[in-house]
Amino acid sequence: MDYGFTTAAYVVAAILFILSLGGLSGQESAKRAVWYGITGMALAVVATLIGPGSGLWHASIILILLGGAIGYQLATKVQMTQMPELVAAMHSLVGLAAVFVGIIAHIELGRVMAMGDAEKKALEGFAALLAKKDGVEISILRVELFLGVFIGAITFTGSVIAYGKLAGSVDSAAKKLPGGHFLNAAAAIISLVCLVWYFSTGGVAPLTIMTIAALFIGYHLIMGIGGADMPVVVSMLNSYSGWAAAAIGFSLGNDLLIVVGALVGSSGAILSYIMCKAMNRQFVSVILGGFGGPQGESAEIEGEQIAIDSDGVATALEEADSVIIVPGYGMAVAQAQQGVAELTRRMRAAGKEVRFAIHPVAGRLPGHMNVLLAEAKVPYDIVMEMDEINDDFPNTDVVIIIGSNDIVNPAAQDDPNSPIAGMPVLEVWKAKQVFVSKRGQGTGYSGIENPLFYKENTRMFYGDAKASLDDLLTKIT
Amino acid sequence: MKIGVLKETFPGEARVALTPASALQQQKLGHECFVEAGAGVAAQFSDADFIAAGVTVCATAGELIGAVDVIAKVRPPTDEEVDQLGKGQTLISFFYPAQNEALLERAKGRSATVIAMDMVPRISRAQKMDALSSMANIAGYRAVIEAGNNFGRFFTGQITAAGKVPPAKVLIIGGGVAGLAAVGTSTSLGAITYAFDVRPEVAEQVESMGAEFVFLDFEEEQQDGAATGGYASVSSPEFREAQLKKFREIAPEMDIVISTALIPGRDAPKLWLEDMVASMKAGSVVVDLAAERGGNCDLTVMDEKVVSPNGVTIIGYTDFPSRMGAQSSELYSTNIRHMMADLTPEKDGVVNHNMEDDVIRGATITHEGKITFPPPPPKVAAIAAKPKASVPELTPEEKRAEEVAAFKAQTKNQVTLLAVGGALLLGVGLVAPASFMQHFIVFVLSVFIGFQVIWGVAHSLHTPLMAVTNAISSIIILGALMQIGSGSMLVIILAALSVFMAGINIFGGFLVTRRMLAMFQKS
Repeated sequence: MDYGFTTAAYVVAAILFILSLGGLSGQESAKRAVWYGITGMALAVVATLIGPGSGLWHASIILILLGGAIGYQLATKVQMTQMPELVAAMHSLVGLAAVFVGIIAHIELGRVMAMGDAEKKALEGFAALLAKKDGVEISILRVELFLGVFIGAITFTGSVIAYGKLAGSVDSAAKKLPGGHFLNAAAAIISLVCLVWYFSTGGVAPLTIMTIAALFIGYHLIMGIGGADMPVVVSMLNSYSGWAAAAIGFSLGNDLLIVVGALVGSSGAILSYIMCKAMNRQFVSVILGGFGGPQGESAEIEGEQIAIDSDGVATALEEADSVIIVPGYGMAVAQAQQGVAELTRRMRAAGKEVRFAIHPVAGRLPGHMNVLLAEAKVPYDIVMEMDEINDDFPNTDVVIIIGSNDIVNPAAQDDPNSPIAGMPVLEVWKAKQVFVSKRGQGTGYSGIENPLFYKENTRMFYGDAKASLDDLLTKIT
Repeated sequence: MKIGVLKETFPGEARVALTPASALQQQKLGHECFVEAGAGVAAQFSDADFIAAGVTVCATAGELIGAVDVIAKVRPPTDEEVDQLGKGQTLISFFYPAQNEALLERAKGRSATVIAMDMVPRISRAQKMDALSSMANIAGYRAVIEAGNNFGRFFTGQITAAGKVPPAKVLIIGGGVAGLAAVGTSTSLGAITYAFDVRPEVAEQVESMGAEFVFLDFEEEQQDGAATGGYASVSSPEFREAQLKKFREIAPEMDIVISTALIPGRDAPKLWLEDMVASMKAGSVVVDLAAERGGNCDLTVMDEKVVSPNGVTIIGYTDFPSRMGAQSSELYSTNIRHMMADLTPEKDGVVNHNMEDDVIRGATITHEGKITFPPPPPKVAAIAAKPKASVPELTPEEKRAEEVAAFKAQTKNQVTLLAVGGALLLGVGLVAPASFMQHFIVFVLSVFIGFQVIWGVAHSLHTPLMAVTNAISSIIILGALMQIGSGSMLVIILAALSVFMAGINIFGGFLVTRRMLAMFQKS
């Protein structure tokens, strides 16, 4: 087969990928969109395998199938609550693959450069492609593969740490080595120096040093970001994995890689932007980690948290006509979504209006709550965005908050000195009654005291969310 | 304090200002209760019932007035009753001070304090002592019952073996307390109920009670009930014409008309004219709750039931609450009890006549030898909701100008971005070789498409989006596939690893996306 067919297949695949992303604008069209993506990917792989420059295709197919088997296992076994971890883990694979591909390109480049003209003519595949390049093109190629390896390495360690934090095997609090961002800056400068060095010599040393520096940046950067900022981190890493693919695409001269890398990169960038906006934080300050922001004495909170038992909650729910449930990460942690769904079904059967209010950064992944609720078969037309539902709280009888904290914190509006001041929040305190299901009296991920818990119309329903809901369900018919 | 309740002397009046139940409540406030012998008989409360509730029964009115500090009754006092009031004594009753100036002067002359139950201001806090409302509620209910009593047909529609009965059509004019009570009673009896009011905000209340609101085809600044304390005010001649036209149109269909239209301090507006009565079917009924103030209907005769030449019964009774003496007394005595509770905030039986209090100030019409009527406007606004402050409507030109300005700003923004982006691109083009530029353009276009497409992704699908982009970004497998066949062992191993990892990602990513999307279900 010649170049023409492969290129044509790439064009079709690229269009299918674009349609696949565009189809996610609605729940129904999304189901079709996935198939576009799968077809596009299959087409691209097949076209590459039978196209020019590929070898060992038996081995490749076996490897793909092996990987596919593992991927299948992962995808079918994973709990919906573990989606953030899975996504982070998969990012790390893309990052590592990008690093490898970049390094291969370097090795091959070195090998081809050392050859004479006669030998170059005899080359096949990727090496033949390299052999055609002239001086300037080779320099550009070096920059491209350097960038690909750099971004890939950051994505790899960053995703591994993000995975660790989300899975709980790494402490989710923001941690920095002594020296903080100076270490990151130093590593970045080293990388820059290496770029210049590599650009002029093409040696293996600068590439290795840079890879180590980039791996360190990825590790240290994400270690310094707290659990509550994870949605931004995950989408940022998503973006990085795309840019890495695009950079590799440049160095390999493969347009499809460039197209897809750019699509994924911009998608991740937009997601990060949306997440930051929802938290009213600058992207830079999220990346630099921790809650900085305006310093000053936060307002003292008066009053006390009043507890309530499941009987009390059950009675209030029986009397309520309209109920809004605000789920958060705590629901995911406790695996309480089935209980929530069951509660919703029963209340709806009793003729009550039940809706869900989802804050854009609820959970640890963009859209995390929607997926969990969908898993538990909560119909998506009663699941509302913040903007859709925020005005309805004053007319609501009961609001149940399950495992969310900062996204319902009135201090964001009332207290200009609060670290989250100005962040858009769900105005749950305007409802007639608020129940907060929470494990204990501690603060949320951001470590900020929540005045909501002290309000007169708030009752604290302590305990593990799942256990609490199961208890509640025995009392509601 | 000692509270005494007089027997009503007005002919046919069955109400009484104290019931045994309310007497017990009064005693909890620290008051001692007295009642004139036989005061509760018409309302089915015997003297024995009162005695059992700890009330002292006095044989005559004179004896009672001499014994107590506070006198409560229902109807406005007679001249003789006022003349018996002593200095410092308090009288609580309906009084209608605007119409009874002579009586008011007389009361002032006795240096007595008079609290008029009809002057309780219409604010939320005072609803519990708003006797006008509680009585109007009863009147509205009773009006429907009286109408039914004089109407020879069912209210509700029925299909029986003996034939089909159409439901009665009831029109209720005026959507105040009495009107709404009538709406509720009429709909619960099964009639098709229509209601009309000059205040448009009533439409919602009427509809919530199950009736249909009669809208006029009339363009005018509709009246705002909130400005007048929730009461109707006089409407313009044009409005009145439109209103009468509508009534004339629907009059032939109506079986029962209950009119409750009153404007405070004025004669009742004439709304149901002779020709409308003439166009109604024989056997139809008009109940005029405004009869005491001249009636809404032309043919109304106060306190009487008349039949028009075409067989329409017109009821002009004015004693609807009194026709339900037991119920009215219960509610009225509760209103009185709440008034006393406000007068004795300490619950120690000592009256503290606090003229700073909006409610007490508003209801008090003579105090310490002075006439304190009319009261200043209450500090708290009336109960009716304020209309939403409307955003000043922009003229079409202003709107147009605004749109143009927004468009210009947007254009400027975009042009700047494009110019900068274009310049950068050109700059790159100057130095980079053609083969690079080819890829670079593909890259820039893809970023552009990416931005355009991703903004359209639904919020709730962000997690599937991430999973799918994850799967797609495994396109890096192409690079590995291209490299795997060329070169050394190290290259092959690295490439093989990459292919393997990308394989995990492709399958994992797509499958998990599919799994998630399959879960999104509509209810």
